[in-house]
Amino acid sequence: MSAAGELDDVECRELSRLAKKSLRKSYMSSTKTQTGAAPAQACWNCNAVAGGGHFCAACGKIQPLADGADYFAFFGLPQKLKIDEAGLEQRFHQLSWKLHPDNFVKASEFERNLALERSSELNDAYRTLREPVLRVEYLLLREGVRKEGTTKQQAPPELLEEVFELNESLDELRTARNDGGDLSGLRVRLGEAQKNFQEKLEEIDAELLHVFSEWDKSVDAGADDNERRKQMAKLNEVLNRRSYIRNLVRNVAQELEA
Amino acid sequence: MAYSDKVIEHYNNPRNVGSLDKKDPNVGTGLVGAPECGDVMKLQMKINPDTRVIEEAKFKTFGCGSAIASSSLATEWVRGKTVEEALSIKNTDIVRELSLPPVKIHCSVLAEDAIKAAISDWKKKAGEGDPAAQTSAAQAHS
Ligand code: FES
Ligand SMILES: [Zn+2]
Repeated sequence: MSAAGELDDVECRELSRLAKKSLRKSYMSSTKTQTGAAPAQACWNCNAVAGGGHFCAACGKIQPLADGADYFAFFGLPQKLKIDEAGLEQRFHQLSWKLHPDNFVKASEFERNLALERSSELNDAYRTLREPVLRVEYLLLREGVRKEGTTKQQAPPELLEEVFELNESLDELRTARNDGGDLSGLRVRLGEAQKNFQEKLEEIDAELLHVFSEWDKSVDAGADDNERRKQMAKLNEVLNRRSYIRNLVRNVAQELEA
Repeated sequence: MAYSDKVIEHYNNPRNVGSLDKKDPNVGTGLVGAPECGDVMKLQMKINPDTRVIEEAKFKTFGCGSAIASSSLATEWVRGKTVEEALSIKNTDIVRELSLPPVKIHCSVLAEDAIKAAISDWKKKAGEGDPAAQTSAAQAHS
């Protein structure tokens, strides 16, 4: 049939699953912090200023996460979108080793629980920040710029038109395949369309990196809320366009392989 | 995820799938997309200019089961209604009728947007521009 949907919910939504999951976590309060850094807190054990890290600088005990701490703060990073990925990975390994529940078998229940919780958060935080697209989606979800059900369609009309037409060709290919018809012409057409959309995807990824830098600059400059909103709207707009194109590239690839 | 019986029913037997001639001055076309998932929906209506009654509605949706069911339901609902009545259909009505879960609300929003976009497109063709219609008309195509 022409309403060519899949009854199953698909993979693309997986992309934002992690970020959304993290938002539901109770420790993620909606407090906004300009830098993503947690404010200094007193250590529960020795009362020294714990420094906002995972462990107290004075006595070394594991600390609860500060209110408003986000994944960036988790790794001691500012809320910037360009990340040194090798450094992040290294920090991840260090932390997973330090936070490993095995290190806490003799500790109090309070500390054991902190370590357990923190270890699983660590994995989510790492998996989210590691991928540029998940990273920016996370930032926008957390700042309330991206929300389920409330976003108005923002893709440019010409893009929607192209997306729709390509979907129609995909549909034709499926029908022709089922009827045992001649597929060669259609395949050539789709192959070309795929190349075209693949190029578009690369262009848009470059554009995304560019808006990442713009965002980072405004973080460095301590931009006001207005400016931040403007930048986030731009990030959101690029992400939306990317999402259409990525879906298409994937669908076409699937059909051509089928 | 579990779909309600009504969604499955519309999915298996979508009503009014197809298209109308978008060049026809009495046909309004709404093409909208959901950025969350990249799905697209096209809804078209043939409107009687004298009575303002929607005489025919067709859709074509590339998207999830809920989006297909929402647009199928939307075409059923708008048929026989006047333009003004159709504009009062809310996505929450669709959510209720199809028992959509929270994660599927955006699929019903798509259907509401498509109705609005199709009607603005028709109004634009008929030379009835109101400022609100102008903005959403940017989503539709003539
Ligand atoms: S999941 Fe995209 S419209 Fe339903
Ligand atoms: Zn201490």
